[in-house]
Formats: sequence, C-alpha cells, structure tokens
Amino acid sequence: MSMRSQIYEWDGSRTTGGSVAIAAAQAGSRHSIFIGGYGNNISKPAETTATQFVVVEDVAVTPSAFGVSTSVAAYRGFAAAAQGIAGPRAFIQVRINTTDYFLDPDNVGNDGIPGTASPYPRSINWQPSFSLYPDVYVLPGQVWDALVTFYNSTLFAPLSAFCKYTLYDGPDALIANKLLEMGISINPGNVDWYKRTLIQGQSAVAPMA
Amino acid sequence: MSMRSQVYEWANLAPTGATSALRRATDEDAVTVAINTEYDIFIGGVGNNITKPAETTATQFIVIEDIACTPILGGALQVRINTTDYFQNPDVTDMVGVPGLASPYPRGSASTSLGDDNLLKSFDLYPDIYVLPGQVFQILYSQRTAMTAVNTEVVAAFCKYTLYDGPDALIANKLLELGVTINPNNVDWYKRTLIEQQQRSRVAATANGGV
Repeated sequence: MSMRSQIYEWDGSRTTGGSVAIAAAQAGSRHSIFIGGYGNNISKPAETTATQFVVVEDVAVTPSAFGVSTSVAAYRGFAAAAQGIAGPRAFIQVRINTTDYFLDPDNVGNDGIPGTASPYPRSINWQPSFSLYPDVYVLPGQVWDALVTFYNSTLFAPLSAFCKYTLYDGPDALIANKLLEMGISINPGNVDWYKRTLIQGQSAVAPMA
Repeated sequence: MSMRSQVYEWANLAPTGATSALRRATDEDAVTVAINTEYDIFIGGVGNNITKPAETTATQFIVIEDIACTPILGGALQVRINTTDYFQNPDVTDMVGVPGLASPYPRGSASTSLGDDNLLKSFDLYPDIYVLPGQVFQILYSQRTAMTAVNTEVVAAFCKYTLYDGPDALIANKLLELGVTINPNNVDWYKRTLIEQQQRSRVAATANGGV
C-alpha cells in the first residue's frame, strides 16, 4: 500500500476534539483546514516525511450563488441570501511551505479557488467550473496547507472544504521523484509504468548473468 | 512549480461607498453595472480588481482555458489580447463575446436571478487562447439588460488559465513554433524528448571514446 488515495474533509461547524466552530468574527481571514483551530482539525501541520510524496488532485469548498441584493429568500440549500450572495462566498488556497499556489495575473497571491468554481459537495445546482490540472506536488520534507477564507459574515454556515490527494510512500515516493526529474506527470498509472520498465530491464539482464 | 493552474473570479462587489477594491472584504455591496458597457474584470474600476493590467512578462506564457459569467441580465465575456478582440461576428464586426447562457458561472446556475432552472455549458473554449510573453490581456464583462434601480443584482465572471513560467514558458514558445497544442502533457512530452536526446548524445560520446 505505498500509493494511497486519500481525502480530508473539513467542517467548520464541527467541534469534536475540543476545537471551536467557526464564527462570523472569522470572516475575511484565512484559516487552515488542518490546524486552523476551527472545525475539525488534525494534531500537527500537514507535511511529508523524507520518504513521502503527496500529489494534491482536488480542492473544493462550499459554493455560493449570486442573486438580487435585497433578496432574503432561501435559495439552493442556504437559509437566506444577504447582499446578493446565498452562501459563504468562500475560497480555498493551497500553500506549500510559505508560498501560495494561486496568484492573480499581477502575481499577487489571491484567496484561491472560489467554492462557486469548485463546489463541495457537488450537485445539479453546484457543478465545477474548475479542475486542478496540473496537480500540485508536495515534495518530501515540505509542509503544505489548505486555507479557507469566507466573506459573507451573516450566512457563512454551512462551511466545509474537501481535499483529495494521493500519498506515495517508500519506494513509490522515490519513483515519484524520478518521474518528476524526467518531466513525467506523477500519477499511479505512470508510477506503475516506471515499475514495469524497471522489471522489464531486470528480466532482460537476468538470463545473461 | 513552473506550470500552475490558476483562476480569477470577479464580482461586482465592493465595500460600502466604493465601486472597486483591490482586496475582497466582508459583507460587500453590489455595485451597479451599466448596460452595454465593457468592464475589464482585472482593472475595470468595478468590483474586485488587481493592481495592474493582466500581462505576461518575458518569461511567462498564459493559456486561457475557460471563461464563464453569470447568465442573468444578458451577461457576456470578451477576451482582448493587446488591442484585438478574440470573438468576432462572421462579418468581422465587434460582438459582446461568449454569453453567460452558453458558459454559465456558477455552472448549474439559473438563467434568471434566483430562478429554479440549472444551466449547463454549451460552449467549450477549445482551442485555448494563448497569451504570449509580453502581451497584455483583458477579459471584458458586459451585460445587455439593465439592472433595476432598487435591486442591484450581483454578477460575476470567472477565468481559468494555466501559467507557464521560466523554462516551461520557453518550452511553450517552442511548442507554438512547432504547431503543437500547448498543454501540460505536451510540455512534459517535450521535456522528455530533450532528456532522451541528451542521453543519446552521452551514449554516443561514450561509444566514441569520449571524443
């Protein structure tokens, strides 16, 4: 099991494990879905060891709908719309060590992917406009994070986020590094292909020995 | 990280009393958008903006892969590279661009404000739009139906692009010269080809006694 598909779900309202639910006061500031102190968290920052390689394949957050500024009617699963927004107006940014992955065209880090473009959960009402391709690579020894920001302080709940990644461990992490050097996309198919190539190379040499 | 998937989202939301802002803030108000007027979603002076026009440096290459906008009020998006509009009428006259009804944002949104239907996309931006090193690009939002004076609608636009930087931008230029589509797969393919060529050269040099 050295290549493993992994997911992490964050729910801002969950208080299990002693954390607190996210509140209106947190609007406009960034919060880690792993160690941000709100909702469900993990025990330490997300990082790769020297023998691990992580490929982040999807990030998503609660979507929002746009409407009429004075409307207060319930809309698409949200209790009401405030200032023309039904939903938290949430974004999710990926950070590797201290570098934000998503930038504006002026090369300034932005809030990240809007939940409206990459919604979680997906439904007929909420379909993705964005797919994370090329994937985001977290190399051995790097710290990574997914940061949620929301701007609708009156209607931020429910607020949840989702991250799908593949964890390569041990020999497969070495192969992932090799593929990276070779300029080949790192995915389970290509890791298997590299293994087959090694085995075929050994098989070809074996009869001569 | 020299090939990066990027997005930009614009909405006509700004802090109370302002028409635009560089950073998003909490509980912003909708700003009225004039009918039949093109607004640059990057520096148009309405909603969230960035610090300078969207442009590529000498070591950057951008491939725009998707554009979409809210379908309400006849919203549409045009792409402009330097001074040239990308979408034209068959008689080569100006047009508003891709309607939000054809490329809705959010996908699955209603065709009217707070409506019940779910729009799917009819338009796929393929082939992609290339922004070469040193070019300025704009994405222009316009709407063909006026906002009501009382209920200002929130409208939004979305752009997905891939930013190639440094060596990968050079490879993107090379692929352009070769007439090969620029996407992450083809950039990787070109890198592999270079590596294989180097390996062959080394083997040949070794076979020739290092001469």
